[in-house]
Amino acid sequence: MLERELVEEVLIAARRRGGSFAELFVEEKSSTSIRLDDGKVEELTTGLDRGAGVRVAHGTSYGYAFSNRLDREALLQAAEAASAALASGSAAGTVLDLREMTLPAVIAAERPAAAVAASTKVDWLKEVDAAARSFSPEVSQVVGVYGDSLQRVLIATSDGRWVQESRPRIRLVAQVIASRDGNIQTGFEGPAANSGVEFIDANPPRETALTAARRAVTMLDSVPAPAGEMAVVLGPGCGGVLFHEAVGHPLEADAVDKEASVYRDRMGQTLASPLVTGVDDATIPNAWGSFTYDDEGAPSQRTVLFDAGVLTGWLYDRLRAEKDGVPSSGNGRRQSYAHPPVPRMTNTYILNGTSSAADVLASTATGVYVSAMGGGQVNPATGDFVFGVAEGFLIENGVLGAPVRGANLIGRAIAVMEAVDAVADDFDTWEGVCGKDGQSAPVGSGSPTLRISHMTVGGTGD
Amino acid sequence: MTDLAELCLAAVEAAAGDESVEAFAESSRRTEVEALRGEVEGLTFAESRGVGVRLIVGGRLGYSYAADPSLDEVRAAVAQARENAALATPDEFNVLPQSASAEPMPSLYREEQAAMGTDEKVALALQLEKRCVGTDPRVTKVDLAQVGDAVSRVAIASTTGLSAEYARTDSWVVAVTLAVEGEETQTGFSYAIARELGELGWEQIADEAVRRSVAMLGATKPASEKVPIVMDPFAGTTFLGVLSAALSAEAVLKGRSLFAGKVGEVIGSELFTLVDDGRVLEGPGACPVDDEGVPSARTELFTRGRLNGYLHNTYTATRMGGDARSTGNGQRGGYRGAPGVGTTNFFLQNGSTPLAELYRKAEGGVLIMDVSGAHSGANPISGQFSVGATGMRIRDGALAEPLREMTIASTLPEMLAGVTGVGDDLRYFSSTGTPSVLFGEMTVAGV
Repeated sequence: MLERELVEEVLIAARRRGGSFAELFVEEKSSTSIRLDDGKVEELTTGLDRGAGVRVAHGTSYGYAFSNRLDREALLQAAEAASAALASGSAAGTVLDLREMTLPAVIAAERPAAAVAASTKVDWLKEVDAAARSFSPEVSQVVGVYGDSLQRVLIATSDGRWVQESRPRIRLVAQVIASRDGNIQTGFEGPAANSGVEFIDANPPRETALTAARRAVTMLDSVPAPAGEMAVVLGPGCGGVLFHEAVGHPLEADAVDKEASVYRDRMGQTLASPLVTGVDDATIPNAWGSFTYDDEGAPSQRTVLFDAGVLTGWLYDRLRAEKDGVPSSGNGRRQSYAHPPVPRMTNTYILNGTSSAADVLASTATGVYVSAMGGGQVNPATGDFVFGVAEGFLIENGVLGAPVRGANLIGRAIAVMEAVDAVADDFDTWEGVCGKDGQSAPVGSGSPTLRISHMTVGGTGD
Repeated sequence: MTDLAELCLAAVEAAAGDESVEAFAESSRRTEVEALRGEVEGLTFAESRGVGVRLIVGGRLGYSYAADPSLDEVRAAVAQARENAALATPDEFNVLPQSASAEPMPSLYREEQAAMGTDEKVALALQLEKRCVGTDPRVTKVDLAQVGDAVSRVAIASTTGLSAEYARTDSWVVAVTLAVEGEETQTGFSYAIARELGELGWEQIADEAVRRSVAMLGATKPASEKVPIVMDPFAGTTFLGVLSAALSAEAVLKGRSLFAGKVGEVIGSELFTLVDDGRVLEGPGACPVDDEGVPSARTELFTRGRLNGYLHNTYTATRMGGDARSTGNGQRGGYRGAPGVGTTNFFLQNGSTPLAELYRKAEGGVLIMDVSGAHSGANPISGQFSVGATGMRIRDGALAEPLREMTIASTLPEMLAGVTGVGDDLRYFSSTGTPSVLFGEMTVAGV
């Protein structure tokens, strides 16, 4: 995307006042987004973004400047601004020869979305609308959103790293509303991947729509969720969202470095049930949270976070890894050239156990079963977390009872992970968008069915 | 560099005979400084500009955008929007607003802030962190001490002859402190936003974050029960976001609002008056025109509990028909998207009850100081919510022990009807504002 000579010149300028390293992140991203709402193709938007960010680091401090111009003048200006942030100027730093890294790609599009006519993409959304409305006369509104993008990045660093990667993202979302006598309920489904349009063949729009429609219509029969402590069974995929919020965020190295993590100083301790083994893995081919290199140019990897309940890994970006004298775990990510990288998750999974999902449910006398999640939030310093239940059911004598609405689960990271008393073998994933420090990033979550012996369900019922 | 108005004009001039074209151009310069352990942790400079083009032909809408475009790239964006429009469904209500004169608001832009050097912002961030860790022995660390500002310009022009341009400055400080006692850590958050840093009162923000973190030390999980609730402005503002989504005419028209078909009905208590007003200068959301160039205005959505109407942009007003007009609430998240419906300054009208009186009326209840998980736990379509909360027990008319790991749950209509007291301490967060509010009863879930 840029000539090597210019990249070197920018890095040299960025190291004018020293610092521990300098980095240039260049991005070009083309996007298509189509929204069908209220039976109409409302909006088809295409756009082109490009820009570059220069970072100069000094220990865990950094200066960052970016521009959405890629000419020499703008890049050198950004380099100057980023280097000027260093408190005390020292001797200029060196820039090593840039060596291209050529790892096998973790993600690739077989059939690039850009080669498919926009009218075909519009047809997928029309399928979503028709399928959802055909599910039930109680379906009252359908929104379908299709999006694809191709992000091309170049990352070059003063210690000689030169990395290029293309990241093709694709997602199709169905949101369905069902109504009955003034009772309005919603259902959502939104599969996503780093892939070409072959992903749509594997995840037909019709099925996405029917799943969302079934959720919305099911919830019309719901009763208010109970309030108080009880057993909670999380269906396949759902435990991954809890693991992401409650455990993953406090393991991100910036929280640990600021002593704002409930897990600080506790590496090697048993802080979860021995049934829990969890990983963060950016190397899963074409998964929504995968990449070949992170946004600092570090190779993606699989990090074991909990091994049979023992805390084994932090999620590192470069700044915190250098401070701790360890290699980065490849978790330095950023939303775009307009954002400095921060440590964050990729695909975060609880791995399969040995129980059968049917046995886990059958052995639960009373409680709540969660079959679709609505996202959550955590305070990494205290470990207090909350997440919403998009589709859930009462459990009565080991079988599913009435659906429940308005449920939220709340707990503390360590206590809840210690309370996991069954893990099944039916692993599944859930794709979401995670927000942190004002930046959003595609993340995958995953888990088999698992049970938490007791946690607080926040409803309004008895 | 081509100025924003010129870029917009190039787009408008590229319109073919029967096309309506609107261009929205935006530029911003933003600085953020974060301090940690007495040093600058991060300093980020951001400069960006871009143009978004909305094109309507035969009722079909197409959109395209480009970052930092040349005049030729703007013309290419118009051609791309034309191509995109060809695939859209015709919708007779897709129209651009007519030109209307808006009272300018020159005080949104402060020369002093625009000219402020980086050194001064760095010094302030360091002072902010120092004050956060220097006033209470239990608070020796921050999670975040940030000072930031942004200088932005917007230009809008269209084939209807509409043309608008304005500039603004914004500045903010954020503090998140960590209070530690024994094995326990608690966090405290505070935030303020103003046109210029000189008007912020950053010392109070540091002190408030410290107070809020220390207050939570020793917090326990309460019993599950129905009790009176006082919501402070930090917690209350979260619910305003959910309410604004349900009051958007777009949500109403598409069957996604619990308030659809309820205009004229009394839904809230008579203490509940909810306003959107883009012309309140002291509000962070002030703007002379909205993001499609319609003059900003005051809209009273609820008056003493009665629903008067909804928030409109040009599309929703045209589609709703009758006497519906754009309320100046066409908003977009930047040049990358077409305008939807959003708020300007959106606030619950200040009441007259002192805080002490609210506490006295909430005997045995809970003060809610922070709400989490609203993006998944509060549903603006069904009106149900269940969210995580932290706060303090109210006993003998005063705040007693701190509480954590609880949820509060209800529905929006029950909540609005349940307002039994409104404080006199209206405060803005971002562009939403609320005073402390007393609710007669709500379900708290804990043990």
